[in-house]
Amino acid sequence: MPPTDRKEPGRKWAAVLAVLVHLIFVAVLVFGVSWQTREAGPVMAELWPSLPAPAQKAAPKREPEPRPEPKPEPKPAPKPEPKPEPKVEQPKPPKVDIELKAKEKEKKLKEEQQKKVEAEKQKQAELKRQEQEKLKQERLVQEQQREAMRQQQDLAQAVARQQASARQREVDGYRRKISDKVKRFINNQPCQPLNNPVVEFDVTLMPTGQLLMEPRLRKSSGNALCDQAIEKAILLAQPLPLPPAESGLFGAFRELHLELRPND
Amino acid sequence: MNVTHDLSFLSLITNASVLVQMVLLILLLASGLSWYFIFGKLFAIRDAVREADKFEDEFWSGADLNSLYQRVSSGRTQIVGMEKIFEAGFREFLKLKRQGRMDISAVMEGTRRAMRAACQRELDALEQHLAFLASVGSVSPYIGLFGTVWGIMNAFRSLSNVVQATLAHVAPGIAEALIATAMGLFAAIPAVLAYNHFSHDVDRLATRFDSFMEEFSNILQRQANT
Repeated sequence: MPPTDRKEPGRKWAAVLAVLVHLIFVAVLVFGVSWQTREAGPVMAELWPSLPAPAQKAAPKREPEPRPEPKPEPKPAPKPEPKPEPKVEQPKPPKVDIELKAKEKEKKLKEEQQKKVEAEKQKQAELKRQEQEKLKQERLVQEQQREAMRQQQDLAQAVARQQASARQREVDGYRRKISDKVKRFINNQPCQPLNNPVVEFDVTLMPTGQLLMEPRLRKSSGNALCDQAIEKAILLAQPLPLPPAESGLFGAFRELHLELRPND
Repeated sequence: MNVTHDLSFLSLITNASVLVQMVLLILLLASGLSWYFIFGKLFAIRDAVREADKFEDEFWSGADLNSLYQRVSSGRTQIVGMEKIFEAGFREFLKLKRQGRMDISAVMEGTRRAMRAACQRELDALEQHLAFLASVGSVSPYIGLFGTVWGIMNAFRSLSNVVQATLAHVAPGIAEALIATAMGLFAAIPAVLAYNHFSHDVDRLATRFDSFMEEFSNILQRQANT
């Protein structure tokens, strides 16, 4: 009996299922494993000693203030002054003789003239007063504007000062990091016998933290071996820790003056 | 300062070296084939067990052997498994008996030989491709390991011109290399499990076939004597 070709049952199903298994495997690899690790970038926080918040609130408040001030001033000023003057003049006519019409006329004329003059005076005075008030108001407004400007300037200065101090703080932090890193590499055996030596080096850095050239000795500890140990430590500590390129602080590190106390 | 590598799965594979890519391809093929055989064998063995159950039920229900033989040999469907053994043995028995003047023991010998041959053929068909599963199971971890070792070698060689070696320099290379190991294990583990499971199933079927052959020869011997 010859061996017959036998039909394997469910070949199609086997193939479909095999493909399915692999699709699942690939899906698990692609979506199940988080291949990308996103590091949270350094966040720079500025601490404000509650300076800007009240100043910004105060600035808009002072603008409406000038409006209520000028209103009460002009009202009381003109009212009391014109009233007493006509009261003083009214008692005068009974004293005048009826016969002397001419005199009366003259008086009347005089009075009228006087009144006119007084009215003019009053008008002028009022005008003057109004002008003065206007001037006062303008001055007030100007002063307020000036004050607001000053406050804004103060604010900007404070912000600039704070930013500068934040930068300074960061620069100092990185300086400390650099000297800490260098210190880790110092073999301070040759420096041990010296009495608290201070060695100063000038280094020129590349943005990668590598040295551009050999460190230059500025102040020796008095012991060449100790100086050499520190120079070696600076070379070994490469790359020196630098602020990230985006911070724009590298300018402060291009030429760096390092003061190292190996025995600390 | 902070170096971020794009470690997406696809970019890892496309940036891998050619050899690692080849290893991954081989492993993918092996895995695909082994899964294909796994499912194929799963269906085949399930069918064989079901057929054997059905036939044994029919056989031991006390039906007439001649009519059973007629039904089996004239069936439109291809006969497999225990039916095949029965058919081969009974046909041989009838042929030898028809020749007459033969010793009963010689008739029984011939019948058993025919059944043995049919049984071997059936088992061979069932065991087909199991060897492939066994080799995938044992070899693909090594292939994956090879890809990994190669990838890590490259990762470290690329470190040679870096003064300050950080983890970020080696990480992508090692991750890429480890994909090969993962792939090898993915191919090997199911293959080994399936191989063990299927060879056990085939062994059980072989025992069932053997015992059926013995019992059937007893029945034939009794029939020949009458």
